[in-house]
Amino acid sequence: MRGKDVRLEDVVMRFGSFTAVQQTNLTINAGEFFSILGPSGCGKTTILRMVSGFIDPSEGRVLIGGEQMNGIGPAKRPTALIFQNLALFPLMSNWENVAFGLEARGVAKAKRRDRAYELMALVGLQGHEEKTPNELSGGQKQRVAIARALAVEPAVLLLDEPLSALDLKLRQYMRAELKEIQRKTGVTFIFITHDQGEALTMSDRIAVMKAGVVEQVDTVDNLYAHPRTPFVATFVGENNVLEGKISHIQDGFAIVETQQGAIRGINQDKATIGDKAMVFVRPERTKLLNGAALDNTFEVDFERRDLEGAFVNLFFKSDTGSIIVHEANLGQHKELEGRAKIGFNASDAIVMRSGELSDE
Amino acid sequence: MNSLIRSYGKGLTGIFVTLTAFWLLLLIILPQAFMLDQSLWSIDKDDQLGMKIDRAYSDLGLLEYDAQQATGDTNPAVQEKIDTLKEEIATLEAQETDPPREYGLQNYTRMSSLHFSIFVKSIFYALAVTVLAFAVCYPVAFTIAKLATPQRAALLMLGLIIPYAINELLRVYAWLMILDYQGVINSLLAWMGVVSFADKTWIPFLEYPGSVFVALIYAYVLFMIFPIYNTVETLDKNQLEAAQDLGGSVFLTHWRVVLPHAKPGIAVGCIMTFMLSVGSYSVPQIMTRGKSGDWFSQLIYRQFFETQNWNVGAAYAFSLVLVCLAFILIMMKVFKVGIRDISK
Ligand SMILES: Nc1ncnc2c1ncn2[C@@H]1O[C@H](COP(=O)(O)OP(=O)(O)OP(=O)(O)O)[C@@H](O)[C@H]1O
Ligand SMILES: [Mg+2]
Repeated sequence: MRGKDVRLEDVVMRFGSFTAVQQTNLTINAGEFFSILGPSGCGKTTILRMVSGFIDPSEGRVLIGGEQMNGIGPAKRPTALIFQNLALFPLMSNWENVAFGLEARGVAKAKRRDRAYELMALVGLQGHEEKTPNELSGGQKQRVAIARALAVEPAVLLLDEPLSALDLKLRQYMRAELKEIQRKTGVTFIFITHDQGEALTMSDRIAVMKAGVVEQVDTVDNLYAHPRTPFVATFVGENNVLEGKISHIQDGFAIVETQQGAIRGINQDKATIGDKAMVFVRPERTKLLNGAALDNTFEVDFERRDLEGAFVNLFFKSDTGSIIVHEANLGQHKELEGRAKIGFNASDAIVMRSGELSDE
Repeated sequence: MNSLIRSYGKGLTGIFVTLTAFWLLLLIILPQAFMLDQSLWSIDKDDQLGMKIDRAYSDLGLLEYDAQQATGDTNPAVQEKIDTLKEEIATLEAQETDPPREYGLQNYTRMSSLHFSIFVKSIFYALAVTVLAFAVCYPVAFTIAKLATPQRAALLMLGLIIPYAINELLRVYAWLMILDYQGVINSLLAWMGVVSFADKTWIPFLEYPGSVFVALIYAYVLFMIFPIYNTVETLDKNQLEAAQDLGGSVFLTHWRVVLPHAKPGIAVGCIMTFMLSVGSYSVPQIMTRGKSGDWFSQLIYRQFFETQNWNVGAAYAFSLVLVCLAFILIMMKVFKVGIRDISK
């Protein structure tokens, strides 16, 4: 394992009077596939540039493998960055692209050529060595960029939304490919994306950012099962939201008075009676009921039904927009009309103090 | 052509094509063809021609006198002699008024060794100016294009252009004043006590060919900076960062990434600077005031306007055109750029 850990200690980044990254503490373990997930403009690239050394934080320290990195330029850091637009050198052949880092280190031509060919084989690009980047497809260019970054044997590989330019099929394929390369090399990957699906499928852990603030750092499972803020709850996966005021608190559960009646859920924030609160419940934990009742049961107007292949999304009207019921498509389609009874268990619902939601 | 007709109709297309053809003919083909023609012939003037005509006239006078003496029976033999002599005079006079042109390469091959050495020297100097201008301009162009903030880049560009609003002659005179015996630099040196005007120990900058270099570089920098700036500008900043991230030194980054990208601009800049400086007349004329060796352009000027030998002048001028063409071809070869890249 040649990956190294990365630590941000009380890091703040300001551009003039604008604070792009608020005080942040973040530890990324050696050999981890770590994603930074957040909407556009939230400061993801800024964090990456602080780790790679293109900018130094206004406050705080960046450590890689325990060594203080402030003031050290990108060339001297054990990192390699894959740019959002890849930034391949279009006038060099692909192997020369891959070998550029070795050329910079004074490796003899024959030797660096061999190494470049090896790396291109590693990323599955045999036979394309003498072509130029512009003669390759999007996915192939991607792999040249990966090979070029790996050539300098970085301990930390930084990837700035490298898959966003690819079409869906290729993106899914490249996700698996990246994961495989990460497993083979043991390098720490810091992967930036605004696609939560991408982050969930690839990462060991994820940091979710919003407007310069890291809202939550957690494993993929925890992030999905236990979102800590309303933003994370709605940005990562889908969540149904019901709003109201807390009327009762009991045994770690809270009861929220909503337009749909009193709803019980886990009192995650330890909120108190009278607080404005939101109840979050995943669409797959929300059930269309016929007869049997769950902890929270209420009636809503049916809106429409979207078929997503293996799954069906049923939409119901509520005061805060739509409530979605996510059902497996078992071929037992019933026509729905008018009012329907839906519900969910209190242990599947999370109550948080009201806050900003993701607008996606 | 067909697509032109489709988008603009026959009438407009006709006008476009005619105008282009006219422009080509008027600006490119006609003057060069004229120059080429002029350079390819010479008049082999017979120095004795005037004397021969004079002698023939006096012979004619004598014969006519003889003919008059022999009144009555006019001697047919004498009359015949008079006729042939008159014919001879007519051809001689025709030769004088409309001398026969002798076509050939003599104007080129007969260049004196002095002129030829000036020719070679001028080319060499122009090459040196081009190299120096490139050395000065590349860092400037790169800095403006990639390191300065957009506002500062615009200001710098403006600063570079403003001097060009002034007539070229005045700009060169400014340098003359700077480099003159009692010019700005010598005054500064005198003030520092290094030289003294009274003892005439000033540094005679203007007598060095370097002064022409300085003025030529100054006169033509923009033609080097602009094309390079334009190409460097289009380089993706991420490529510079990628090179830096991979550990590329400043030299390697420029050698492998920036320079290859800027090739077309460099080629254009070098071609323009070379052509302008090899053909520059006013700059060497003003800067040397005849004190250091001739530039070839001055020589050409003299062939036309002092020696009045247009044929040799045309041959010299055309030699320069050939050199420029050769330079363009060499640049295209060296920089592996095509006409297409250059005309961009
Ligand atoms: N050099 C800079 N000068 C001034 N402001 C900057 C600079 N770099 C980034 N910013 C600002 O900082 C904020 C965060 O930028 P950043 O590039 O980190 O966003 P991001 O999360 O990567 O977004 P995206 O997903 O769109 O790439 C933005 O509002 C941006 O305008
Ligand atoms: Mg970004």
